[in-house]
Amino acid sequence: MSTAPSSAPGVHAKKLWSYRPRSDREAGDAVVSNFLLHWFPAKVFKPSLDWTYSFWLGTISAALLLLLVLSGLPLLFLYIPSVERAYASVKDIEYVITFGSWIRSVHRLSAHLMVATVFLHLVRVFLTGAYKNGTGRGQRREWNWVLGVAMLLLTLFLSFTGYLLPWDQLAYWAVTVGTNIASSIPLVGPRIRELMIGGRTIDQPTLIRFYVLHILVLPAALGALFAYHMWRVRKDGGLARADREALLKEKTEEPKARSKTYTLLGVARGTAPTIRATTLEAPDLQVNAIPDLTRRAAVAVLGTIAVLSILSTLVRSPLEEAANPLITPNPAKAPWYFLWLQEIVTDTTVHIGSFTVNGAFLGGVVLPGLLVVLLTVWPWLDKSPASAAGIWLPRTRSRQNAVFLVLCLVVVLFTIIGTFCRGPYWHFYWPWQSWPEIPSRI
Amino acid sequence: MTDDNNRRDFLMRLGIGAGVAGLAAQAAASLRSLVPNVSYDAPTTVKLGLPSEFPDGLKFLPDQRLFVFREGDVFHAISSVCTHLGCTVRAEALSQPETAQVGGKAARLTHRFLCPCHGSKYSGDGGNVSGPAPRPLSWFHLEVAPDDGQLVVDLAREVGRDFRLTVSLGERA
Repeated sequence: MSTAPSSAPGVHAKKLWSYRPRSDREAGDAVVSNFLLHWFPAKVFKPSLDWTYSFWLGTISAALLLLLVLSGLPLLFLYIPSVERAYASVKDIEYVITFGSWIRSVHRLSAHLMVATVFLHLVRVFLTGAYKNGTGRGQRREWNWVLGVAMLLLTLFLSFTGYLLPWDQLAYWAVTVGTNIASSIPLVGPRIRELMIGGRTIDQPTLIRFYVLHILVLPAALGALFAYHMWRVRKDGGLARADREALLKEKTEEPKARSKTYTLLGVARGTAPTIRATTLEAPDLQVNAIPDLTRRAAVAVLGTIAVLSILSTLVRSPLEEAANPLITPNPAKAPWYFLWLQEIVTDTTVHIGSFTVNGAFLGGVVLPGLLVVLLTVWPWLDKSPASAAGIWLPRTRSRQNAVFLVLCLVVVLFTIIGTFCRGPYWHFYWPWQSWPEIPSRI
Repeated sequence: MTDDNNRRDFLMRLGIGAGVAGLAAQAAASLRSLVPNVSYDAPTTVKLGLPSEFPDGLKFLPDQRLFVFREGDVFHAISSVCTHLGCTVRAEALSQPETAQVGGKAARLTHRFLCPCHGSKYSGDGGNVSGPAPRPLSWFHLEVAPDDGQLVVDLAREVGRDFRLTVSLGERA
């Protein structure tokens, strides 16, 4: 039996990793030996961890996704995906099953908040130019942005397929409107709608399709993209802010004198760039991932879980009347994150002489499609210098930040109008105006 | 040697190609299975009841998503499906009936139609007046069933806005 000294490289003194490391060595070991910590680097750039740089929105989104998976699991056992029984099963979850209402609220509120945090995360990444590549090798930050856009779309589609499942009035009319938007695409639209709803009428084939998408296909896709997203963050050298620090360092220091020193000392035979690494240049800004990163991540994740758990005891999830194909609610409103779209499809029907473009197509397909394309290709349109990355609202990007913010504001404004200013028959009312008495049934 | 390599390369490519083709075919088959070959739709020709059972003015039939209008012994039917995104429009009685040219004839309009989803407005003859609706509401063909004299609508047969069905009520009433 050979007894290797416990201090030898690659040999772990402890069988289990330490979450309270007493040395750099132990901190590094913890990252290497713990599967869960594998997505963290051993060392991180301290400014990247600032609360006010990233607001940890990505981590919070991931925490919400975790909550959605966890709360979705019991719901999977309780929910019945049949048009006859779906509504009753959700009603049971809400009113009969112990803690059912709370679990459903955790699931619903997490979903709502996730839409918000994923969107805000995207806004943060844009305003800090974090999709821009720095000096690191093999960086593909623009592709991680594209992955992010895809994940935002998946988040929205997951929400859409999720709120259909109770098969209440909201669900039924959302499917009607949503699939009719697809149907408005010239030539192929009706075929696409048939594929979506599994026939020409909204019925059992529709529900089972959206159910399988919601519990299997979309979460699997989101999970895969999430893993890829995190892997890319590591490959790209952490947050864009780390690039920025390296870039600024490069400017302030004099590489000439430096390489001379090394040559004189005979430390390196090559040129200066081979030994230029942020770890060497700024050791003061590098901290151990454990505990500096893990502690903050724990605060973000546990904080999210705590807030959601408490919030869910206070806010109950609504359940409208059972789906009734005979009566459209008045007003029939989508959830808040789709109200800007509902507002756009309302306002974009264009009549040119006898020729009419349906707002369903223009506002429901073309405009959102253009927005997504614009978001996707923006990193390639962005010609600002690399120094504009990793900093909030740099001057060199002020114009494109302004354009982006205006687009965001339009979306937010339309959302607010849709939420607070639309009443029966989608008429405009100020929030303080009362709606006229209109019978809820004809 | 070169020949050998060529053969190996070729076989390797053939193997990979066959694998990819096999997977693609299976994926295509799986996806194709999701394209519906049949849709179990409700019948499009529906008996609505005896003409004499309809009140003068408008009657809404939620099951068929249809408004049936009666003016004496003259009937016509307008769809309640909004042409924008398919919600069911609601009828609102006008305080003052209007007279308008509908399909070249003067007609008395007693209602207007409003959509709760996106606010489209239609006149009493189904014409799209304002809001996002791109087209007027559909008019459907009405006839009297030869067997029991019930009013029959054909939801698959759109007609022009000059369509009127005159029923001789005296026989059946």
